[in-house]
Amino acid sequence: MKKVKCGFIIALIGGVALPQDAAAMHIAEGLLPFNWAAFWFAVALPFFAWGLYLLKKRSQEDLSFKPLVGLMAAVVFIISCMPIPVPFAGTCSHPCGTGISGILVGPAVSVVITAAALVIQALFLAHGGLSTLGADIVSMGVMGSFTGFLTFRALRSVRVNMAAAAFMAGLFADWATYFMTSVELAAGIRGEAAFLPLFWKVLIAFIPTQLPIGILEGAMTAGMVMLLYKKRPDLLIKMRVIKDREVAVIGAVLIAFTIFFSGVAPTEASKWTGVDEAVIEKIAKEQGREPKEPLINMEQGDLPLFIFLIAGAVGGFAAGYYWRVLITEKGSPRCRGGAERSPETSAKIRGS
Amino acid sequence: MHLLEYYASDHWLARIDARIKLLVTLIVLIMVLSYQGVSFQLLVAALSLTLIMSMKIPWRLFLLRFSEPLLIVLVVLLLKIFFSGHDPLFSFDILGFQLTAYREGLAEGVAIGSRIMAAISLMAVLVYATPFPELMAALSWLKIPRGFIEILLYAYRYIFVLFEEAMVIYQAQKNRLGYANFRNRLSSFGVLTGSLILKAFEQSQTLSTAMVQRGYDGNMPLFQSRPFRSSEIFLSCLVVTAMGILWRI
Repeated sequence: MKKVKCGFIIALIGGVALPQDAAAMHIAEGLLPFNWAAFWFAVALPFFAWGLYLLKKRSQEDLSFKPLVGLMAAVVFIISCMPIPVPFAGTCSHPCGTGISGILVGPAVSVVITAAALVIQALFLAHGGLSTLGADIVSMGVMGSFTGFLTFRALRSVRVNMAAAAFMAGLFADWATYFMTSVELAAGIRGEAAFLPLFWKVLIAFIPTQLPIGILEGAMTAGMVMLLYKKRPDLLIKMRVIKDREVAVIGAVLIAFTIFFSGVAPTEASKWTGVDEAVIEKIAKEQGREPKEPLINMEQGDLPLFIFLIAGAVGGFAAGYYWRVLITEKGSPRCRGGAERSPETSAKIRGS
Repeated sequence: MHLLEYYASDHWLARIDARIKLLVTLIVLIMVLSYQGVSFQLLVAALSLTLIMSMKIPWRLFLLRFSEPLLIVLVVLLLKIFFSGHDPLFSFDILGFQLTAYREGLAEGVAIGSRIMAAISLMAVLVYATPFPELMAALSWLKIPRGFIEILLYAYRYIFVLFEEAMVIYQAQKNRLGYANFRNRLSSFGVLTGSLILKAFEQSQTLSTAMVQRGYDGNMPLFQSRPFRSSEIFLSCLVVTAMGILWRI
């Protein structure tokens, strides 16, 4: 127990006091011994092979699918390189981006996307590594993508709102990634020590940063899905995230909503009393202060008609007076700056 | 993004075939991971760092590349020193809790740290001495699935395009106080990433149309490697044998 408490202090030192880098979820090159590195490669391999098979199949049907997957890998790379300050922890962390790719292109292809982003990061940024690629694919690609995808689909199947489903998908994808990273890290570095105590220490070390960043990733995923839904619903249909029927139903609801508020609502509103009458006048009446008639009552007699007549006459007179300014030349022509033109210059300008 | 672009084209290692460099790197990497001890790993780290220094890598890039691994080494070292082992080395009080460092933990931490440093510096040598298309061709030669290599090539090409796009959007958002507080920051980041995905969709459509017009049939042509030179094969065999002997000792 004492060691766990000490673990929390170390976690705070590691997670808060030290400036965390922008790629905290990757297991660094060389961190895992050979047997564990090989084991995680073996775990990742079937998912990767399944993703490649689906990629090949779908790119035969649609030639733009492979470039799309490549560009999604670039997007995941950029997203997972963007540090977001976490004010609660006083550190920087970054989203994984695998939740959104799992939702958009499916979890198996998302494993390939993650693998591509991880290879480039390992080679050029030293985030992760080639020897730990299998472990990183399992935590980010497999756990992140599948958790994100399954959460989104499960919540949508019970008619949960799309933004809420995307939020939960991003949240759980992020947390699942860090859970798996803790398992891999603890198993890899434990040596002769017991697995579980070290696992809890690593998990606790992640909590100050990853608990809030999971919420941020959820919000980000929801924002991304809703932006796509608003701007390009056709892409979500193409990616099989939503169905035509869903767009038609939501479109019909929006049209009905608009018709209701533009047509029916004003007629209904006319029957309703305003807040002045319902509250202020009512309370004043209860206190014995009856409202008085206004000095000039616009709702009585032909007064508005008379005012409109006067306004029309004044407006017509003013318009008629200034109309001649537009069609006739008044006074001597002047150059820019106010200097008087000579008759010759005026003649040249007129072309005569 | 400058980290992605650095390539020591003048160095003698850059003239060696990428397939040989990749193969030797992978073999030495496996030796580093499977070695039980510290000396071989420290030797590999020292040799690799010497090679990197001879490539005249700018200090800023070097520090950027090694900052994250060094931080991880530090955290792992702390975890191992204070939570692994039985033989106490020293102890002190922190916030009312007594922390004890263990001899076995220190040994394990140093072993893991040296393994990380060796592996990271080895990979850095490979990457700084090999251009990306050649590295991809070498991966293809190692029978890595072609579809995956194509995805890597697309991703590498469009990282720069999308990164520039992201920076333009980020500056525009920042100029409009999009990152003034935490709530704005969150919303702006959502819009930024969503816009990137929209751009990726649009770019992929444009790209595939352009490629189909130029005869794209679903497979991208890869960089063609030249035949091996006997001197390269001899050098690689020498390096692997020497490393193997050192690994066995």
